[in-house]
Amino acid sequence: MSFKIRFASFLVLLTCCAATAFAQTAKEDDYYQILRFPVPEYMSLEAGGLEWMPDGKLAVSTRRGDIFLLDKPLTEDPEQAAFSKYAGGLHEVLGLSWRDGWLYTTQRGEVTKLKDDNGDGRADLFQTVSDAWGIDGDYHEYAFGSKFDKEGNMWVVLCLTGSFDSKNKYRGWCLRITPDGKVIPTCSGVRSPGGIGMNAAGDMFYTDNQGPWNGACALKHLKPGKFVGHPGGNGWYKETAGELGERPEDPKSGSRMMVEAKRIPQLEPPAVYFPYNKMGQSAAGIATDVSGGKFGPFKDQLFVGDQTHSTVMRVYLEKVQDHYQGACFPFRAGMGSGSLSLLFNKDGSLFVGGTNRGWGSRGTQPHSLDRIVWTGKTPFEILQMNAKSNGFELTFTEKVDAAAAADPKSYKLSTYTYIYQAAYGSPEVDQTTPEITKVEVSADGLKARLFVTGLQEGHVHELQSAGVKSAAGQPLLHNMAYYTLNYIPAP
Amino acid sequence: MPVRTGFIYCALLFAFASAVASAADAPPRVIPFERYHATAPDKVAAGNLLLGELNCTSCHAADQSQAAHVQKKQAPVLDTLGTRVRPQYLLKFLMDPQKIKPGTTMPNALAGIPEPERQPIVEAIVHFLATTGTTSDVSPLRGGVIRGESYYHSVGCLACHDPRPAENPPPALTTSIPIGTPSRKYTLPGLTNFLENPLAVRPSGRMPHLNLNGTEARDVASFLLNDLDIAAGLQYSYYEGTWDKLPDFSKLTPKAVGDAEGFDLSVAKKKDNFGLRFDGTIKIDADADILFLLGSDDGSRLSIDGKVVIDNDGIHPFSQKRKPLKLKAGLHSVVVEYFEQGGGEELQVLFEAKGKPPQELASLVVIPTPKNAKPAEAPFVVNNDLATKGREHFVSLGCANCHSLKMDKEQIKAKPTIVAAALADLKGVGGCLSDAPPKSPRYALDERQLAAISAALSTAKKQIVQPAEAQQVSLNLVRFNCIACHTRGELGGVEDARNVHFKSDMPEMGDEGRIPPSLTGAGAKLKSEWLKTVMDQGAKDRPYMFTRMPKFGLNNVGTLVTAIEKADESLIKPSPKIDIADDDKKFKAVGRRLVGAQGMSCIKCHTFADKKSTGIQALSLTTMTKRLRDDWFHHYMINPQVYRPGTRMPGGWPNGETQLPMILDGSTAKQIRSIWAYLSDGNKATLPSGLVTGGIELIAFDETIMYRNFIEGAGSRAIGVGYPEKLNLAFDANELRLAMIWHNGFMDAARHWNGRGQGYEPPLGDNVVKLPDGAPFASLPSAAEEWPKKKAKELGYQFNGYRLGEKRRPTFLYSFNGIQVEDEPSPKGEAGAFVLLRKFTLKAESAAPADLQYRAAVADKIEEVSGGYKINDAVIVRITSGQKATVRQSGGKNELLIPVTFAGGTANLVLEYDW
Repeated sequence: MSFKIRFASFLVLLTCCAATAFAQTAKEDDYYQILRFPVPEYMSLEAGGLEWMPDGKLAVSTRRGDIFLLDKPLTEDPEQAAFSKYAGGLHEVLGLSWRDGWLYTTQRGEVTKLKDDNGDGRADLFQTVSDAWGIDGDYHEYAFGSKFDKEGNMWVVLCLTGSFDSKNKYRGWCLRITPDGKVIPTCSGVRSPGGIGMNAAGDMFYTDNQGPWNGACALKHLKPGKFVGHPGGNGWYKETAGELGERPEDPKSGSRMMVEAKRIPQLEPPAVYFPYNKMGQSAAGIATDVSGGKFGPFKDQLFVGDQTHSTVMRVYLEKVQDHYQGACFPFRAGMGSGSLSLLFNKDGSLFVGGTNRGWGSRGTQPHSLDRIVWTGKTPFEILQMNAKSNGFELTFTEKVDAAAAADPKSYKLSTYTYIYQAAYGSPEVDQTTPEITKVEVSADGLKARLFVTGLQEGHVHELQSAGVKSAAGQPLLHNMAYYTLNYIPAP
Repeated sequence: MPVRTGFIYCALLFAFASAVASAADAPPRVIPFERYHATAPDKVAAGNLLLGELNCTSCHAADQSQAAHVQKKQAPVLDTLGTRVRPQYLLKFLMDPQKIKPGTTMPNALAGIPEPERQPIVEAIVHFLATTGTTSDVSPLRGGVIRGESYYHSVGCLACHDPRPAENPPPALTTSIPIGTPSRKYTLPGLTNFLENPLAVRPSGRMPHLNLNGTEARDVASFLLNDLDIAAGLQYSYYEGTWDKLPDFSKLTPKAVGDAEGFDLSVAKKKDNFGLRFDGTIKIDADADILFLLGSDDGSRLSIDGKVVIDNDGIHPFSQKRKPLKLKAGLHSVVVEYFEQGGGEELQVLFEAKGKPPQELASLVVIPTPKNAKPAEAPFVVNNDLATKGREHFVSLGCANCHSLKMDKEQIKAKPTIVAAALADLKGVGGCLSDAPPKSPRYALDERQLAAISAALSTAKKQIVQPAEAQQVSLNLVRFNCIACHTRGELGGVEDARNVHFKSDMPEMGDEGRIPPSLTGAGAKLKSEWLKTVMDQGAKDRPYMFTRMPKFGLNNVGTLVTAIEKADESLIKPSPKIDIADDDKKFKAVGRRLVGAQGMSCIKCHTFADKKSTGIQALSLTTMTKRLRDDWFHHYMINPQVYRPGTRMPGGWPNGETQLPMILDGSTAKQIRSIWAYLSDGNKATLPSGLVTGGIELIAFDETIMYRNFIEGAGSRAIGVGYPEKLNLAFDANELRLAMIWHNGFMDAARHWNGRGQGYEPPLGDNVVKLPDGAPFASLPSAAEEWPKKKAKELGYQFNGYRLGEKRRPTFLYSFNGIQVEDEPSPKGEAGAFVLLRKFTLKAESAAPADLQYRAAVADKIEEVSGGYKINDAVIVRITSGQKATVRQSGGKNELLIPVTFAGGTANLVLEYDW
C-alpha cells in the first residue's frame, strides 16, 4: 500500500507577497526565488536530511524519524508535488545519502542503511552500518551524516553531551564510516554541529555553533587528524589506537585562536567565521553548487543555512598556506522555517529544509521545504574575495563602475576576533581599523585590488562596499563581506 | 609610625602595599576607592568619596560647596546590637578595631587614651551596649551550611566579598570587604537577623539587601559560621498557602520555625492548605544500603545531602514511594518537604536497613548536645553601674556622633560640645589624619587616602558646582559598587577573579544568562517606576541568573535613579504612532498570535509567567511591559544587537521589515505594538499558542508502528514497537534484549517531539513487564557459573538492524561470536486475549557452542505452572519449541535458563509471554 498525499490547496508562493512587502528581499527575489512545498497539516516535515533517489524523487528525513519521498521535486507548481512515507520510527534522522541501492540514514544512535526489498515503495530492510559511538538521554547529542566521499566513506559529526562535555564515547568527534562499517576516528574538537558537507574538491567541512571554545558560528575543515577547537572530547584519544597520534595539548582559555594554533600543531582554525548576528546565529547545513553555472555565477561555492535567521549564506574558500580560509556573504533570506538541511540539484536549484523546534527562527513555520531557483538574471555581487599579502582582491559578478570601485572611500574595512575560551561564546574583541590606501580596478572591470595597511592575522575582516556600483549603476545586492584571515599569504 | 612611609603608591604595587600595611594596621577598606578612585585622575572626587564613606561629616559639618559631593555612609544602627553581636567580641574590638578587624572603616576612637585607661572605658561601653539585647548560641545545621555555601557563592555576596572555599582559598582581593572569622563576632541568630535585612542595621545601602528570606539568611549565616560546632537535631519551618505541588519553600517566608520531635504533622497549625519543611541531620554508623520510604497525602519530597532521593509530589491520597541509597558512615543532611491542600493529611518517613523492619527515620536524627553542656565562653552578665558609666562614655567620647542608638524609644543624642571643626576649616593634616592622634579617632589611613582627602578638603569654600548627571551616575555606580556586576559604557564590569562565580542554570545563554545586564542606556530602556522599584526593592526577574539584584533603598540611590534618567534622556527615540488602541481586543489577539508558535515564536525561548518554553528558559514575556519603556521595546524588537551587543535574541523585523506581510497590513510598527498590547495583560494574558502542549500519543491502527528513541527501561538506543493488537514492546539495541512488554497505550512522543528531545519517556500503557537485563545468550561451561555481567558489546554482540515483515512487524537481527540471531516477536491469539509469541532463529557460522543458554527470566520468584513458568506473579513464560528449562539460584536471584541446541548449524527457540 502506498499512501499518497494530495494537496487540496495551500500553495504559498511567497515570492508574490514578499515582493510588495520588503525592499531587501524583493531584490534578492529578482534573482533567486523561493518555491515552497505545502505540507499537509497532519505531517511534520522538520527536515534534517535531503537526498536524491535514483528515480528522481527527493527523500526528506525528519526530526520525528520519518522519511518521506517527494514525487515531483522539480515541478514549477509545488502544489502538484506529493509526499509519500518511505520509512518511520527512526531516531532524529540528520543525514541521508544514497549508494548502491541503499539509502543511508544517520540517526542519533547509528548509521543505518534502508532498502525497499519487496518493491512496495516503503523500506522494509533496516541494517545497522555502525553504532560505534555513545549516546544517552541528552538533547544535545545529535549526529549529522555526510554524503559519501571519494573513498566511499560516510563522515559523521557527533555533538558533545550538553554542548560542554563528552560523557559518552566519541561525543565531540568526527568519525568516518567505511563501506564495510569500519570506523575511523577522524577529528576531535567538535562542539555542536549544524551540518556537514563537501566542497567541490571533495574536502569535508562542517558547521559548528557559537558556544564554549567557539566565539562565533563557523565553517570548519575536517582534515583527518586535526583538532577543530573544543577540547571537551579529547579524552577519547585513548580509544583511537594511536592512528591520530598524540592527544593535543589543551588550549588556554581566554587566549586567541591563532595564538593557540601556533602552539598546538593539531589545532585547525575555523575556515570561515559567520559573525554572530551579522551573518547568523545558528550555522546549519552545507551544500556546494555543483550545477556548473545553472544556479548562476557562484559555481563551486558553498552555501550554508542559518537556522535562527532562516537564511542561506554564501561562502567563498581559498587555500592559504595549505589551510582553507575565505569569506562569507549574505545570499538569500526568507526561508519558511529555520534552515537546517541543504541539497543542490544538478539542474541548478537549491533545496532547503527547515525546523524551528527547540530553537526559534525568523521563518515562522514549524517546518518547511523550500526550493531556491535562479531566475537567470545575474545579481551584482562580490563573487570572490581573495587575501593578498597586502590587501584583498575582489572579483565581481559584473563589470564595475571603475571610478567608484577605485575610490578607497567606497569601502569600509574593520577587523576583530574572538576570545578563544571555555565560557560560552565571545564578544568581538581586539578591534582594529586598517587603512585602504589604494584600489586598482582591473582592465576588464571585474576585479578590484584593495591595498591595505594593517591586515590582522587571525581576525575577521569586515568589508562594507557601499560605494561600489556596477557599470550599469547598480549598487551591490549585498555589500557586506566577512573574510576570516587566519593566514596572510606570502608576497 | 614609620611603617607606611616610603611606599611607592603606583598601581602595580597596590597588592604589595596593602599586604605590608595589613601586617601593622590595614587602612580602611573602601571598595569604590580601591576599584576606581585610587587610580582615577580626579583626586578631589576620591577624597569626597572617602569623606562620605568614613563618615567624616558626622563630626565635621560640610559647607555647601562640599555637601553636594559627599554622601555620608551612616555607621551601624546599634538599637539591637546586643541581639546580634557577642559582647566578648566587642570588648576586644573596641580596644583596637583595626587590629581585630583589619580594613574596618570604624576608627579607633579611643586611640589617644593609653591602653590601661582605655580598658575600663571599653568595658563600661560594652556593658552599656549589652543592655540592647542578649544573644543565644545556636549551632548551625549541616544542611544549612551546605545550602548556605551555595547561596553565598552564587546570589551576589561575592560581588563585594571573597569566595570562601573549604580548601585552597584564592588570594584575597583588594576590592573585597574582608569577612574574617564572623563566628568571633556573631551568633547564628544574630548573623541571620543581620542578613535578613542588612539595611536595618546599615541603612546607607553599602551592604545592600539581597532579599534573602529567613531560611536563606539562616543558611548563609550557617555557612559563614561553619567553624562553630555543627549541630544535629531536626528543625521545622511551617508555611501556609494553597498549592497543587510542592512550592519552592526557600522563596516563601515561614509562619513558624522551631525544633521538631520527628517528621510529623503535629507542628502544623491548620488541617488544610499548609506546607512543612523539615531540616535535620542523620547519623549512619557504618556504610550501608538503606531503603528510604516516603509516604504522604498530599505531596512530599525527601532530599539527602542536597539531592532529591524520593519525589512523591502532587495532590494524591496516601501513597508511598521507596528508593534504596548507599550511604557512607557519618553525618548526612536530610530535608523532607511536605504540603497538604485539602482532605486527609499524612506524612510518613521511614527507612529500612537490610533484614530489619521499617523504622521511623527520625530515630536516626542526631540529638543535639544540650546547649549548656557546651563549654562556651563565660556568659556575659551586664553590670548596671558599669552600663550607666558606659552610656556616659558613649556620648562623651563621640560614639553617638556616628552611631544611632535608641534606648526606650529615645534617641541618644550626641554631645553638642564635642562637635568638631567644620570640614571647610580643616587643614588636611594632623587630627584624625595623623597616625597617632592624641585626641581624635585614628583611621589608619594610607598615603593614597590621605592625599585624596587633602585634595578634597582644599576645595572647601570654592564655588558650588553640581556634578553633571553623567558624572553623578558614574560616581554613584562606583559608590554603591554597582560596577561589581554591571557595566555602563566603559565603566565597571565583573572583575576577572569574580567572574567564575557568576552562574546560571542555563549555560547555553552564555554571559547573558549569568552576568547582570549592562546599564548603558538603562534610563532610556526601563520605565521610571520600574527603575525605582528595582533600586528600592531589588529584583529577580531572570530566574536562570543566580545573582540577584539587591535592594539598596531609594533614600540611598534615589539621586542615582534621577541622574540615570536625565543622563539617558537624549537616547530616547520615540516609536511610531499608530492608530489602534492597546485595549482593542482584536489587536491584542494579533499580538498573541505573533508571540506564539505560528508567529514570531517568542515562546521558543522565553517563558510565559510560570509556563516553560520549549527551548532555553529566557526572561518571562509577562515581565516586559512592566519593566520596559514602549519606545525602547519597539526599537529593540527591530535590532536587539544595538541595545544588547552579543545577545542571543534575534531581531524579528530585520531592517525594520516584517516577515509576515499579511498581518496588520505588514506594518512593523503595528505588529510590534500589538505584541506590547497583548503583553500588557501581564500574567492575566491568555496563553500564546505553542506553549501548552498535550500528549502526542502514537497509535498503531492497521500496521505495526515503531519508535526509536530514549525509552525509560530500554536505554538510549531503544526501539519501541506498537502492534495494532494493543501489545507493545521495547527492544534495547544497546544490550540486544527485549526490555519491556506492555498492554494498551504505546508511547507518548510529546517529550521528544515538542522541545529539543531530551530525557527518557516510559511506556504509556499498562501492565508493563520488565524482562532481564544483560546479555540474552551465554555459554555456561558449568551450572555454577554466573551469567556474564559485562555489556553486550564487550561480550561480542552487535546489533544489525531489523527486517519488516507481515503488517510491518520487525524481526530484530543481531550477532555474537559468529552466531546470527533473528528475534521475531508477534502478537498471537484473538482480540482481548493476545499473547506475545517470540521466535528465535540462531545460525552458527562455524562450530556452535554446545553449552549455550538463553536466560528467559531473572526474578525473586519463578514457579513452574502448567505449560510454563510464572515469573514474579506477573507473567507466564511458555516454551513451545520443546526445550526443557532449568530454574537456578544465582547471585541471590532465580534464573530461568533454556538450553539452545544446534542441529545443522541452526537452532530454534519459541517462547510465549502471557500477562
